Amino acid sequence: MRLKPTGILLLVLFVVAVLLPLGLDPRGNWLRVMGTVMIFAAAAQAWNIMGGLANQVSLGHAAFFGIGAYVSTLLYINFGISPWIGMLIGALVAAGAGALICLPTLRLTGHYFALATLAFAEVCRVIANSWSSVTGGPVGLTIPFAGDAPMLFQFRSTVPYYYIILALLVVVSLVFWRIQVGAFGYRLRALRETPEAASVVGVNVFRTKMIATMISAALTALCGTVFVQFTFFFDPDSVFSLTTISIRLAMIAIVGGLGTLIGPIIGALFLLPLEEVAITLLSSQASGVAQLAFGVVLIAAILIEPRGLVALGPWIMRRLKGGQPSAPSDMTAKGETNV
Amino acid sequence: MSDPILSLNKATVTFGGVRALDDLSFDVNRQEIVGVIGPNGAGKTTLFNSLVGLQKLRSGTITLDGVVVSDRKPHQIAALGMTKTFQNTSLFPDMDVLGNVTTAGLLHHPLAEARDKAADILDRMRLTPIARAGIDALTFPQRALIEMARAMATNPRVLLLDEVMAALTPSEMDEVMETARQLRADGLTILVVEHHMRAIMSLCDRIVVVSFGRKIAEGTPDQIAADPAVIEAYLGSSAKEKEVQHA
Repeated sequence: MRLKPTGILLLVLFVVAVLLPLGLDPRGNWLRVMGTVMIFAAAAQAWNIMGGLANQVSLGHAAFFGIGAYVSTLLYINFGISPWIGMLIGALVAAGAGALICLPTLRLTGHYFALATLAFAEVCRVIANSWSSVTGGPVGLTIPFAGDAPMLFQFRSTVPYYYIILALLVVVSLVFWRIQVGAFGYRLRALRETPEAASVVGVNVFRTKMIATMISAALTALCGTVFVQFTFFFDPDSVFSLTTISIRLAMIAIVGGLGTLIGPIIGALFLLPLEEVAITLLSSQASGVAQLAFGVVLIAAILIEPRGLVALGPWIMRRLKGGQPSAPSDMTAKGETNV
Repeated sequence: MSDPILSLNKATVTFGGVRALDDLSFDVNRQEIVGVIGPNGAGKTTLFNSLVGLQKLRSGTITLDGVVVSDRKPHQIAALGMTKTFQNTSLFPDMDVLGNVTTAGLLHHPLAEARDKAADILDRMRLTPIARAGIDALTFPQRALIEMARAMATNPRVLLLDEVMAALTPSEMDEVMETARQLRADGLTILVVEHHMRAIMSLCDRIVVVSFGRKIAEGTPDQIAADPAVIEAYLGSSAKEKEVQHA
C-alpha cells in the first residue's frame, strides 16, 4: 500500500511526538505545552466529526468537554471511582447530552445551530457555577493528589501524562479516519451541503447527524477528563468556556483544515504554540497586546488560505518539486476524500 | 389492464393562500412511463417533492404499491422504492462522481458492494471515464446523467425524473430516452417532468397535464396533443401547432 504525502506526514509527526520527551525537560514547560497541544488537537478532531464532516458547526463543545471533566472528577472525589472508569462514564453522559441537544437543534443549520449549541454550553456553565453543593461552584474542584498511582490516573512526572494524551489523540484520530472513509462518512458528507438530496437517496439525515453528535460529544468528554487530570484544578469558567474551549476547538479545526484528518493536528500545532509565544513575548507589554498579535496572525492565516493550512500542502509540494504553482487558494483537491 | 403502483388521491399542498397542488388525483401503472407537463408554476416540482416526502401534503394521500407514503420521510420512501432527480441538479459537492452514486447504493448495500454497484451503473450509462471527476468539473448534461445514475443506485421501483433533459443536445436526449426505455424494460416505473415536448411525446405512454395545481387533462400523447383544454392552458394555440408538428 502506498502512503499519500499526508499519511507520511502523519507518520512523521507521530514518530516525532513519541520521541519528543527524550529531548525535552520532563519538568519543563514545553512538555506541558505539547501535552496541551495534543489534548486540543484531539478535542478539535472530535469537533471535526460534527463541524467538518457534517457541517454542523458547534460553538458549544465546551459543554461536552466540561461534562467529561466534572463527571469523572466528581465520581473520583465522591465515590473513589478511578478516572479511567469515570472518563468512560463521562463520555456516556456527554453522548446522552449530545442526543438531548440534538432533539431541538438538529433541524437548525448554520448560525442558528451554532448559537443554539453556544447557549447549551452557557447553560452548563451557569449550572456548574450555581450548583455549588455538587460542583464546588465558582471555587472549582481540585483533584486530590495520590502520588504515583497509575490506576487512579495520577503520576508525579509529566511524561506518562504526555504519552496518555498522545494515545488519546491517536484513538480520536483513528475514530475520525474510520468514520471519514466508511459508509457513515459518505452519509455525513452527503448531508453536509445537500441534505434534501441525501434524504431522497436514503440517508436518514436526523439519525446520521445525531450519531455524529453523540460520537463527537463522547470523544470531547474523554478529552475533558484527560485535560483536568493533567491540570489537577478546574472551575466552571475554564472547562465550560466559550472562548478557551468552544471557539478554540472550532478555530483549530478551521485554521488547520475543516473535515480533514490532519487539519486539527496542524491547526493545534500552529495555534497553541503561537498563542504561547505571543503571551511569553508580549504579556509584559500593554494589556491585550499578546491577544491582539495572536488575532492578527490568525486573521492572516485564514485570509491566505481559507480552506485551512492543510491546503497549503500541495502548493508546498509543487514548490519543492520546482514547479510553477498557482496561488495556494486557487488550488483544489476536488474529487478525493481530503485527508 | 391497469395495475397502479403509484396513486395520488386528492393530494393538496398549500403555501400560504396558494394551492400548489389542488385535489390532484391520478394513477401510474407498473412499468409505465408517465409524463407530467404544465406551464411554469403549475406545481410539477411540488408534486415530485410531495411524492418523495420533501413536501408534506395538507390533505389527500399518496400510495406506493399499496403503502401510504404521504406521511413518510424521504429516506423511508427511498427505502420503499421511490426516489427522484433534482431539476437543477443537487449532487454531493464533496465527493467525486463514483462517491455520489456509491452513497445512494448504501441504502441497500454495505460500502464495498455499493461501490461495485455504483461502478456498474456508471459503466452501463457509459460514464466510467468521469467516475473519478469532481462535481465542479462536470457539464450540466453530465450532472443530469449522474443524478439519474445516483437515483438508480437506490434500486428504485418508481423513478421520478425532474427535467433531466434540460440543456441536453438532441443526441444526448435520445440517449437519456433510450436509457429510460431500458429501465422500464428492466421493470421500472418512470414519472417524467419535462419541458421538451419532443421528448415527452416520444417517450411517454401517458401524459398528465397540470395547471395551477389541478389536473386538467390525462391521456396518451396523441390525446393530449389534441385536447383543447391543454391547448388553451399550456401550449397556446400557435405554439401547439408548432410543437405537434415537431412531435
